[in-house]
Amino acid sequence: MKIVVLVKQVPEADKVAVDPETGTLIREGITSILNPYCEYALDEAVKLKNTHPEENIEIITISMGPPQTKMALLRCLELGADKAYLLSDRKFAGSDVWATSTALKEGVVNLEPEFDLILAGKQAIDGDTAQVPAEIAEQLGVPQITYGVKVQIVDKKVEVKREIETGYQIVSARMPALVTMSKGSNIRRIPSMKEVLNARKKPLEVLTADDIGIDENKVGLKASPTQVARIFAPPEKVGGEIIDGSDHIVAAKNLLEFLIVNNYIKE
Amino acid sequence: MVSNIIISQKEDCSPFEDVRAIKGEEAILSTHQDYCIDESKLAGGYADWLFFPKNERDIISIVNKMKEDKTPITISGARTGIVGSAVPTCGGAILSFDDMKQVKGISYDKDTQKYFVRIQPGLTLEELADILKYKRFSQEHNLDEEDWVQAFKKVERGHIFPVDPTEMTAAVGGSIAANASGGRSFKYGAMRPWVKHLRVVIESGEVLDIERGQYIAVNSKFIIKTSEKDIEIDIPTYKMPEAKNAAGLYAKPDMDLVDLFIGSEGILGIITEVDLWLIEKPEVLTNALFFKTEEDAINFVKKLRSIENLDIEYIEFFDKNAFNLLRSRRKTNPELANIDTIPEDTTTAIFFEIPFSDDTFEEIFVTLDEIATESNTSVDSGWSALDDNERDKFRKIRHAVPEIVNSIISKRKATYPNLHKLGTDMSVTDNHLQDIMTFYHQTLKETTLEYVIWGHIGDNHVHVNILPKNMEELDLGKQLYKEFAKKAVEYGGSVSAEHGIGKIKHEYLEIMYGEEGVEQMRSVKRKLDPEGLFNRDNVFSFTG
Repeated sequence: MKIVVLVKQVPEADKVAVDPETGTLIREGITSILNPYCEYALDEAVKLKNTHPEENIEIITISMGPPQTKMALLRCLELGADKAYLLSDRKFAGSDVWATSTALKEGVVNLEPEFDLILAGKQAIDGDTAQVPAEIAEQLGVPQITYGVKVQIVDKKVEVKREIETGYQIVSARMPALVTMSKGSNIRRIPSMKEVLNARKKPLEVLTADDIGIDENKVGLKASPTQVARIFAPPEKVGGEIIDGSDHIVAAKNLLEFLIVNNYIKE
Repeated sequence: MVSNIIISQKEDCSPFEDVRAIKGEEAILSTHQDYCIDESKLAGGYADWLFFPKNERDIISIVNKMKEDKTPITISGARTGIVGSAVPTCGGAILSFDDMKQVKGISYDKDTQKYFVRIQPGLTLEELADILKYKRFSQEHNLDEEDWVQAFKKVERGHIFPVDPTEMTAAVGGSIAANASGGRSFKYGAMRPWVKHLRVVIESGEVLDIERGQYIAVNSKFIIKTSEKDIEIDIPTYKMPEAKNAAGLYAKPDMDLVDLFIGSEGILGIITEVDLWLIEKPEVLTNALFFKTEEDAINFVKKLRSIENLDIEYIEFFDKNAFNLLRSRRKTNPELANIDTIPEDTTTAIFFEIPFSDDTFEEIFVTLDEIATESNTSVDSGWSALDDNERDKFRKIRHAVPEIVNSIISKRKATYPNLHKLGTDMSVTDNHLQDIMTFYHQTLKETTLEYVIWGHIGDNHVHVNILPKNMEELDLGKQLYKEFAKKAVEYGGSVSAEHGIGKIKHEYLEIMYGEEGVEQMRSVKRKLDPEGLFNRDNVFSFTG
């Protein structure tokens, strides 16, 4: 059985700032990491591999990005992926969600056409669009299940526990299928020394658009129907008001007054 | 030419009125109370003056004026020290280094083939690390004609200042005055060997410009020639411990003058400029291994440090109680999530870092695998990290232990406001590591005291933290502390391996060097600073 895990390298989100004057990201000092949701997806794939030895699961990670994305893929290999492909080419530069989906879909079709399951993070913590995996599923014509927290293989089908507003839902689909992962019980695991060493012996290939036969008119800026007009930081949340609770009667009065003054309730 | 005689330099000073200052005890306490306390939380600090000099000329002006007014000066870096060195308990003036964070330049020493950076002492270690990481140097930072800035920027791996006291928000000046160290001192030593050059304003208002290697003691003496007199300094005769040590004045018969000021806790003068050596950033593998017993862990440490070609950067230790603290918080602190991946029967953890290259990786792995197996653990169940993001997870876990300890004590303070934790800082020689660990555990287990042990085991320097639950336990803890100090000295160690003596550990310094030793230090102070102008009551009580 082949599980493809799609991953993205992202700037570490809690450290990203936007230059208010130029509207661009301040990149100095920001390290890049493997997108946490992609990491959870990979972790889920590793769990499946460990719990289904009879399936002889092979985990293949694919990413698209600049050459330094190799670091994120190396981390995937440390955490249990068997091989990794990086699609890296100037022709991909400026791709929006659609063009990115096209490139990754072509990557999957050309490199691992016999895939049974694709796992991906529910979204990347930089763009937060959550659209790429869904578009890939559409382009591949396979069923998709989003916001998964637990994936099982039952009777040749994939069964997913997924988050919904009111709780959880169990959904299953025939394979091949695509599942996007939320956090669930997965953590950003620290690998062992053996895993770190072995990762360096596993195959990690860097491929260009030509290598996988992608039509250059389908990717990159000119194949992107959408463009990012502006990036800005969300306004900072102002700190709430703390009511001193040492005297509960006074505290209750103060709270009531606050709610009335701010029109949350009427007198 | 090498000599034991140094002539102080008379430099210009700023007009005193031009130095930024806050005057009056009330004004200082109302708006700048932070400057009267440091991380020791030692109470009783107050001052009539708070100065913010911008340069050496301002400092000379302050020293001249305060000397004239017989007003003692407490030097204030980032106040991260935990022995009260920056707390102005004798009043007078506080001299803050907040406005002295300038990077003066960078250069290269062709003899040693090393870069060095020249800075003002108020810069913090963290700020210095960032400046080096992002190579924030421009052409005007060239200290001589050659373009070393350009050459420095071309080094792809970049450079670091290798000493890493756990508290990276400490000021460089304070770190030098305390001879701070941290985990990496296992490989790199404390601040001392990395100081190439110092400028120090002494009590006469003149400046000593001290280049390492230039002023070496002759017959255990230095002679400092000021415009007014010749000061003859007799180097104390006590023998410093072989183990890691930050207690009292550095003293060796053939010592370098610069070493007298490093670790002197600011009692001899004010450092105004520093040159620090840098090293190319090594590629390192960070690891944690987990053990079923403390004995296994200590055996592993002994084996690890006996293999010289591994060139270990640091070795850190966490005992069973520290581990239980981490486990108790793993549900509420997401940064501790990985604690769940550790084998259940783990009692002790060892964190260590090894430099490596692609060529040596496999060989290192085989070696570690072997000694791990001999110590009843496995590299398969440990953790490893190669990049800075991963390393950050290790750092957060390591730092979580003292943070949890502090939060427990804070809660208990609600009932007992004067309660505080007791953290030891003692080192011993290599051959006594197991002995001191056994002594700590046995002594503490005879009581009901809650405690955790962690720290720099590579240097046989662990921190025993006692968490008293009430004032009686605090008193009992203090008694044990003294016992520990005596035992550490008996085992060839130091009563303070990295925190210094400051204002709160005088009695332990006496355990180590005796009354006579302390008196010899006092005599050096009296020669250089007869009126007790600088950092009064640091290291020993000041008696005029």
